[in-house]
Amino acid sequence: MIGQRIPKLDAPDKATGRTVYGHDVRLPGMLHGRIKYSKHAHARVVRVDVSRALKLPGVKTIVTADDNPPTMFGYGKDNTPLKGQVVRSLRDEVAAVAAVDADTAEEALSLIEVEYEPLTAVFTPEEALKEGAPLIHAEHGSNYFTRYRYSHGTLEAGERESDVTVEADFELPYVAHAAMETSVVVAAFDHRGHLTLYSTTQIPFLLQRDLSEALGMEGSEIRIIQTAIGGAFGRGLDIYPFEPIAALLARKAGKPVRISFSRYEEFLAAPVRQPAKVHVRAGATREGMITFRDAYALLDIGAYVSWGSVTPLVMMETTASLYRIPHSRFAADCVYTNNPITGAVRGYGNPQSTFFVETMMDRLAVALDMDPVDFRVRNANRPNEETPQGLIITSCGLKECLEAVAARADTARQKDEGKTMKDRPHPSSFIPHPSKKRGIGFAATLNVGGGARIYRSDGCGATVKVDDFGHVSLVTGSTEIGQGSETVLAQIVAEVLGVNVEDVNVLNSDTDVKPWDVGVHASRTTFIAGNAAHIAALDARRQLFETAAEMLKTTPDDLIAKDGHVVAKVSGKSAELGKVARARHYREGGQVILGEGWYDPPTKLVDKDTYKGNISATYGFGAQMAEVEVDTDTGKVRVLRLVCANDVGRAINPMAVEGQIEGGAQMGLGYALTEEVIVEKGRVMNPDFLDYRLFTTADMPEIETVIIETDDPQGPFGAKGVGEMGGTPTAAAIANAIHDAVGVWMTTVPMTPERVLKALMEKENL
Amino acid sequence: MQPFDYFSPKTLPEAVEILSRHNGDARVVAGGTDLLLKMKGGRLAPKAIVNIKRLAELRGISETSNSKLQTPNYHLPITTIGALTTLEELRRSPIIRERYPSLCDAANTMASVQIRNLATVGGNMCNAAPSADLAPIFIALDASAVIAGPGGERRVPLEEFFVGPGKTVLESGELLASLEAPPPVGPSLYLKHSPRAHMDIAVVGVGLAAQLSGGVCESARIVLGAVAPVPLRVRRAEAELIGGPFSAERIDRAAKIAAEEAQPIDDVRGAVWYRRKMVEVLVRRGLTAIGGIEN
Ligand SMILES: Cc1cc2nc3c(=O)[nH]c(=O)nc-3n(C[C@H](O)[C@H](O)[C@H](O)COP(=O)(O)OP(=O)(O)OC[C@H]3O[C@@H](n4cnc5c(N)ncnc54)[C@H](O)[C@@H]3O)c2cc1C
Repeated sequence: MIGQRIPKLDAPDKATGRTVYGHDVRLPGMLHGRIKYSKHAHARVVRVDVSRALKLPGVKTIVTADDNPPTMFGYGKDNTPLKGQVVRSLRDEVAAVAAVDADTAEEALSLIEVEYEPLTAVFTPEEALKEGAPLIHAEHGSNYFTRYRYSHGTLEAGERESDVTVEADFELPYVAHAAMETSVVVAAFDHRGHLTLYSTTQIPFLLQRDLSEALGMEGSEIRIIQTAIGGAFGRGLDIYPFEPIAALLARKAGKPVRISFSRYEEFLAAPVRQPAKVHVRAGATREGMITFRDAYALLDIGAYVSWGSVTPLVMMETTASLYRIPHSRFAADCVYTNNPITGAVRGYGNPQSTFFVETMMDRLAVALDMDPVDFRVRNANRPNEETPQGLIITSCGLKECLEAVAARADTARQKDEGKTMKDRPHPSSFIPHPSKKRGIGFAATLNVGGGARIYRSDGCGATVKVDDFGHVSLVTGSTEIGQGSETVLAQIVAEVLGVNVEDVNVLNSDTDVKPWDVGVHASRTTFIAGNAAHIAALDARRQLFETAAEMLKTTPDDLIAKDGHVVAKVSGKSAELGKVARARHYREGGQVILGEGWYDPPTKLVDKDTYKGNISATYGFGAQMAEVEVDTDTGKVRVLRLVCANDVGRAINPMAVEGQIEGGAQMGLGYALTEEVIVEKGRVMNPDFLDYRLFTTADMPEIETVIIETDDPQGPFGAKGVGEMGGTPTAAAIANAIHDAVGVWMTTVPMTPERVLKALMEKENL
Repeated sequence: MQPFDYFSPKTLPEAVEILSRHNGDARVVAGGTDLLLKMKGGRLAPKAIVNIKRLAELRGISETSNSKLQTPNYHLPITTIGALTTLEELRRSPIIRERYPSLCDAANTMASVQIRNLATVGGNMCNAAPSADLAPIFIALDASAVIAGPGGERRVPLEEFFVGPGKTVLESGELLASLEAPPPVGPSLYLKHSPRAHMDIAVVGVGLAAQLSGGVCESARIVLGAVAPVPLRVRRAEAELIGGPFSAERIDRAAKIAAEEAQPIDDVRGAVWYRRKMVEVLVRRGLTAIGGIEN
């Protein structure tokens, strides 16, 4: 069971349209909610008049800030469902309508009159930090939200030991999740006034608490049911105003209310990856040993705080602990502006930091005239060592990953410069292109692989039930968001109980049913929920063996679970699982077979002053090799090949691992070359898939995945997380390949044709 | 979306009648790949929709011989491309492949196969997006628009068909019946620059056609897309080529002049300097390739 290539169990229903997503939920009497957003990036709200809108036939209710409970919510406790006094961004919600259909609700929005008194707005962190800049949240007293200051070793010593140093400035953009399913929520109240929320959240239990604050209710009065999730990529890691707004509308209307975003609205109002400006310096000795790494990042978190403001913790980890870094400093400031709110996106700071860290590695290698892979291997993290930051690295296949991609690069290293576009299907595109240059580049990545303790608990609960028919139900606290967790968790349970994976049903979507879990993030599900499921399955098996031992007249330690049976090793006698369960159910003083598991990894929150500590029970490593072709006339970069090697501890399901890596690479390629939410004066300029360019199948290069197994001592069957690593090193590998091809260092993503050509022209003019 | 009346006429006169009756408030729908997006986005709210998909007259690609035409290759027929021809039909048509491979090139760069199966040639013209991929190459091929209306049929050189973004010479009651392309005078080419390989709008599109004989350029048409309110013929660049040898130097000069003649704007798809630069690159590449095809 473990190590088998098993197609995702939920895939056939998804592919044939049977799966129920949030957008499919219809409740009796359900109304459709629409939100009126602010017209200004920063303004005082003078008056909101809903009287005309209320008269529109079909409109059932309207909520404004008057309907807010007195409490504030959100990571920074700086948000309210609707805004009544000040709007701080163009996505600020000033009113919401519930009507019999979405068109009526939409029409009603246009009848709501809002009078604003514009205030000076700030659209960059630099502006926001100037003397006399308007305060985004007056009560906060400053536009700084958080300031991170980390160091180990002494920078001066690092510089003294350096034979070469490199320095550069980076600029990183807004990026959207671009999940196939847009944000959606359905809120319904029962006769007790308890709320059931159908949601695509990634944090159902934390959302209960967040919503209780946003609605002024008790958490115990809120039940979250997670529908199938059509992609989330970090979007569901926080509460956003549309969720309590749906609840406020439902409560006021006395009817269930659904709010589902249009794609345009999704680009406008869903959180985005936070943009950053980063200054980085790094040094090395002549022998090719890294001496220090120093980075300062200025992050624009937007008008309200969400998890975007915590990504520096991850950037810090890459800066201080990817490779052996004797001296390191990392500082970051998260600043309020009147721009869109930023949240968590897959990789969570890591694509950003890996981009600057790993391109700086190549700059050092070039300065040292060393092979970029040799240089990396020399400095690679090793198994069983603690980094100066306090990360306890146990299993570690970084060197193996680097060597694996390098081995596959050798054959690819061919710099032919006069290639034609022979692979284009055009009849008349045999255009000679002496301007096309090829190059290869490498980058590595370090990512938490055994959970990430960012809350006090990093735990997950699970129960495993075996029923009268030998059918197994795993109820896990964790969530399926398309990553394949249901399949992998079913495999773990099936392995322990000796049943087929199809015999295990995974239930994971109802806070009234499932045991507690922190949420699905930080590549943690296989490791944490996998360990919890493993423990619960072992417990269920213990109960099975207890009863079977009586039935088969032997002792539990003589028993194994195999092919749906409990088998006595000595006598060879066996009992079918269902029969064992029935025996336990029907006997006098009977019991159910219900295994219980809870796993919270042996990790610590980082120290709040030094930021040191082991936040993950293990770490994942990876490396990528990109082969590119740069058109020096147009600046267009084509990725010809991408080889991805990842240390996943143990691949419980290699097919699922490949899926995660390839999907991650697709996002990484978009981050590298095409994806950017363009924001001007707080306004999203490209709110559609025409101008927000995802990598499509036609753009995808050949991707080769290499799985490195290091058998993690704490992972379930040796596994560790891989969910985010597929995309983190891609942009850096491509940037390094571009340098290899044409000799320019890119410091901004996406590396659009225009930006690459500009860099080429600047180089020529030097 | 606002409510609207829906018509599905079976004949061209019927369609023209319905359109005339609505006096500009009705919209034709063909593939709907432009129109529906605009309606759903609230940018268009027509009172009536006239589905022209049932008009057999507007379908198909055919040839008619025309010995009266005083063009080179006059012995070859004129090709008529019905307005309802889908982009995929255009791309796969043996006639087009053989005679106007550059039209296949253009169709090849457009959208995705699903969209190409819906989207029509007529829709691409009448939507009149400055970036429409078929416009520059059809103009380079010297095509004409055949317009049907209350007063019967009229022909307009495609070059004069476009008035501004989203605007054409079509008057109330009129619709585009077909495009007519004269026999090709020589090699032609369409080049498109966009960040993605497919599913992308042109940052710059260039349609080129030339008549070369013995290394001398007899005629040349250079048409730019996405760098002006309408597809733009750059006549100074053409003049640079005509009557002289089709040499690298002259091609280079023509490319630079074309870049000067372009009137691009700054937007999220490209800065002015970059669009000009791409005009130069594509025109140079295209003309060089045309020289190559000829040899
Ligand atoms: C995902 C996607 C990708 C696309 N990619 C490209 C691309 O790469 N390049 C490109 O150029 N375009 C592209 N388009 C735009 C569009 O598909 C094309 O312009 C297409 O050719 C429009 O044809 P249609 O039949 O769908 O037009 P419709 O949407 O039916 O009509 C467009 C407009 O023309 C009018 N109209 C249509 N036919 C006639 C007629 N015979 N007479 C009078 N008026 C008429 C309509 O009233 C409407 O105003 C893309 C669109 C989508 C959705």
